[in-house]
Amino acid sequence: MKLKLYLALALLILAACGDSPPQEQSRIIDNTEEVQQYYKDHPDFFSFKTLNDVPSNLDWEDGADLPEVGSSNAVKGGMETVRLADFPRTLRTVGPDSNGGFRPWILDYTSMALAHRHPNQLDYFPGLANRWAVDQDAKTVYVELDPNATWSDGVPITADDYLFIFWFFRTQYITAPWYNNWYESQYTNITRYSDHMISISIPELKPDTDSKVLELRPLPRHFYSEVGDDFIERYQWRFAPTTAAYLLKEGDLKKGRSIKLTRNADWWAKDKKHWRYRFNIDRVNLIVIRDTPKVFEAFKRGDIDQFGLNLSEYWYEKLPNTDADVENGYIHKKWFFNERPRPPYGLWINTDRPLLNEKSVRLGIQHATHWQLVIDQFFRGDYDRLNTANDGYGPFSHPTLSARPFNVEAAMKHFADAGFVERGDDGILMREDGTRLAFTVSSGYESMKDILTILKEEALKAGIEFRVEVLDGTAGWKKVQEKQHDIHFSAFGYSLELYPRFWETYHSSNAYDKAFLEDGSVNPERKSKTQTNNLESFAVFEMDRLIDQYRQASDSETMIKLAHTMSELHHDEASFVPGFYSGFFRLGHWRWIQYPADFSFKHASGPSQYFVHWIDQDIKAETLNARADNLPLTKTIEIYDQYRTAPSP
Amino acid sequence: MLALNPQTRKKLARFRKIRLGYYSFLCLSALIALLSVAELFVNSRALIVHYNDTLYFPTYGSFYPGTTFGQDYSYETNYRELATTFDNSDSDHWVLMPFVPYNPYENDAKGGIMRPEAPDFSAGHFLGTDTTSRDILARLVYGTRTALLFAFAFMCSVYLIGIVIGCAMGYLGGLFDLFFQRLIEIWSNIPFLYMVIIVFSVIPSAASIPVRIGILLSVMVLFSWTSMTYYMRTETYKEKSRDYVAAARVMGAGAPRIIFRHILPNVLSTLVTFMPFTVVSAISAITALDFLGFGLPVPTPSLGELLQQGTANLRTAPWIVTAAFGTLVIILSLVTFIGEAIRESFDPKQFTLYR
Repeated sequence: MKLKLYLALALLILAACGDSPPQEQSRIIDNTEEVQQYYKDHPDFFSFKTLNDVPSNLDWEDGADLPEVGSSNAVKGGMETVRLADFPRTLRTVGPDSNGGFRPWILDYTSMALAHRHPNQLDYFPGLANRWAVDQDAKTVYVELDPNATWSDGVPITADDYLFIFWFFRTQYITAPWYNNWYESQYTNITRYSDHMISISIPELKPDTDSKVLELRPLPRHFYSEVGDDFIERYQWRFAPTTAAYLLKEGDLKKGRSIKLTRNADWWAKDKKHWRYRFNIDRVNLIVIRDTPKVFEAFKRGDIDQFGLNLSEYWYEKLPNTDADVENGYIHKKWFFNERPRPPYGLWINTDRPLLNEKSVRLGIQHATHWQLVIDQFFRGDYDRLNTANDGYGPFSHPTLSARPFNVEAAMKHFADAGFVERGDDGILMREDGTRLAFTVSSGYESMKDILTILKEEALKAGIEFRVEVLDGTAGWKKVQEKQHDIHFSAFGYSLELYPRFWETYHSSNAYDKAFLEDGSVNPERKSKTQTNNLESFAVFEMDRLIDQYRQASDSETMIKLAHTMSELHHDEASFVPGFYSGFFRLGHWRWIQYPADFSFKHASGPSQYFVHWIDQDIKAETLNARADNLPLTKTIEIYDQYRTAPSP
Repeated sequence: MLALNPQTRKKLARFRKIRLGYYSFLCLSALIALLSVAELFVNSRALIVHYNDTLYFPTYGSFYPGTTFGQDYSYETNYRELATTFDNSDSDHWVLMPFVPYNPYENDAKGGIMRPEAPDFSAGHFLGTDTTSRDILARLVYGTRTALLFAFAFMCSVYLIGIVIGCAMGYLGGLFDLFFQRLIEIWSNIPFLYMVIIVFSVIPSAASIPVRIGILLSVMVLFSWTSMTYYMRTETYKEKSRDYVAAARVMGAGAPRIIFRHILPNVLSTLVTFMPFTVVSAISAITALDFLGFGLPVPTPSLGELLQQGTANLRTAPWIVTAAFGTLVIILSLVTFIGEAIRESFDPKQFTLYR
């Protein structure tokens, strides 16, 4: 990341030395015809029909019975100051540099899709759609759009804005190969019946067929009419009309320093059920503070309203329960246990490497990594041991498999099986031919380097050397994508999905080109495949077969059974050392920030994700006065463990 | 030849008279001497183990597995535990531990939780522990040793390149001089710190720690040798026109001989004056790089890494930043005092007053 920044800086300086920008900036682009032509060129994909063509026997759903999100006590108003770790490099939500820490504020957490999963129930509640119906046989989802929905500039949202996304995300102009691929391979048809009725088809039927369609977000067709080969520069700093409650107004963006978002008083969904008690704060002031310790100081001064206390050092030491502000009740502490797919933090072993392709070496590594020590002493027992790479998927996760414990004897026995018997002068095991049992453990997580040094120290006991290599985030990711790693410490951020994916991480076609011959034996000439998420170079013929079955299966029961079998197979191969997960999030906030009675939601990933909190101005004044006079208020430290999954230690 | 020169002897005598510089020099020398055998003072390995009437000296050399001393594990003996075991038994076995019985890598969480602990003399953590319960004194000692070693290696390499190219430019002159002047102008305009950061984020270093330190050193040398060349160039130009050089040339001496045997000893005073300041800048640079996270690979102990931890835990663990900052101030002050003294004693104008 940093590297890119510096290169960009260098280019900027070079560019500044050049002549004034060419005339091209003012070139007029209108892609209307190009888009229409594209629709015409792909008649199978873009269909145009009438309302009479909509099947009459559809089973419509509207999610209207789902409970409200947020509290009816919420009041609108106030300004909240939030920290940004880095200033966004663009206001685009797609294309180079767009996937940063700011994007959730204008896209992921704030803008509306057709429907959203209820954070407690997982069923869908309506967003831009009025109602929807799944036609199982045709693998098609019919959606009736809410006719009241408008963009923030007042333009109504119609079916055309949905057709448009299948042009936009497939063009080369946006320089986003992942989007190109996704929108080309995951959908097979979009049909326009009227301004407010569409249907979208997908290639495979799934238990959650609806999610792929309902989580689509439209694009303002009128705003993107200038998309062309200069898309990246042209849209770099333009704020797109949005379906979200928050707007970026002219002059509220101070480059490199802050961005102020304003609540849209005329937001079309402001009285809509599931939406009306959310997005309560009038102004969100996002300021750039790079160092976390400085953010904490700003929080303690009251400049920042909330501060995440996930890290033990903050929860226990920097803001202990005995802290004056906590003791006096000015700052409240909250600890919330959630239930959702757990990011699989652990060691991903590249089985394509020498030594690591031997199962006994991998089994030895499983027993030589002391995760329990990391959890007990570094995370102070707050985190839990991950047992498989797919924990947190309810019935889809394996119920009984458990990670192998740290055990020097067991590890050394496995290493001995691989021929590593004698210890060298430095205590590292060696083969008779002098091969040392040493591997590079790399990671792109600067903040977790201490974990790796702890593992390294403990692994020495079992006679294995870990050479710790801590890289910058981008460099670390590039390394594993190029499959240049021995062992990599990392995790995937899984979104809220019903069931785990196996194809991306364990299918042989993501590990090698032509991994197996026709009869299932290993192809001796296979070549490693880069740029995939199969970080273990995992290729087992049986696994491929199971994954194919899993992908074709459409009922939950079969899929659960298959998922368990695959987890067992993966466990047996020992190519992933499960690390830890945190089954909760923690927060410290000033007293004037108010939350609903339950605080957060079963499947939430963080306290602010659903924007249900609000600011009480009276309480703010009261708190500030009390603090000035040093008057104690009610001390509040609350633990919400109704959704706790792991038993208490 | 250098020591016998009466001029030099006079300079050295003058250096001894400058008390601050001289005592700084003695302190630093003593410190370096101590640091070079730091393993004897700060180590998790015992100095001497007396077991079954045999004496063992584990400090240097290969490791002794626990089984050597009757323990039930095959990995390296935990000598602190061994000492307690021996103390509690009635045998005549004993263990002599170093002054600080910890190495800079081990996590010694006394309370079962890894966190910074304040200095505790009874536990042997004289400066406390860092965020993962590693002994700060141990990390400081080994970190300082690496920094000093690094700085001296840096100085030597920079001077070697600087002297050779600078002298050659001054002595040969002409096109050679012109070419290198332009090259240096361009080269020295590349921002050094950025380059180190960029180069270091591109090189994926899977090699061992010494090799990675070597890479860092060469990258830094690569972008730092230029400043020395200009001083050497002007000095050589000056000396070149002196009669003794002409005399040497008339007698048939070749260019290398003239440069290294005749000119170099005469420009040495310039060189010596700069040395301490180069050391200071090298220590600062490596500390700064470490602070930014681009320096020595983890978990190498380093001053910069400690400073970074310290600033992140200012409120809760002030002893980390105090220790690291204190050490840095002491080392840099010592070197600077020495530098000032050398500059003063080597200054031909004895009564110059900088006002």
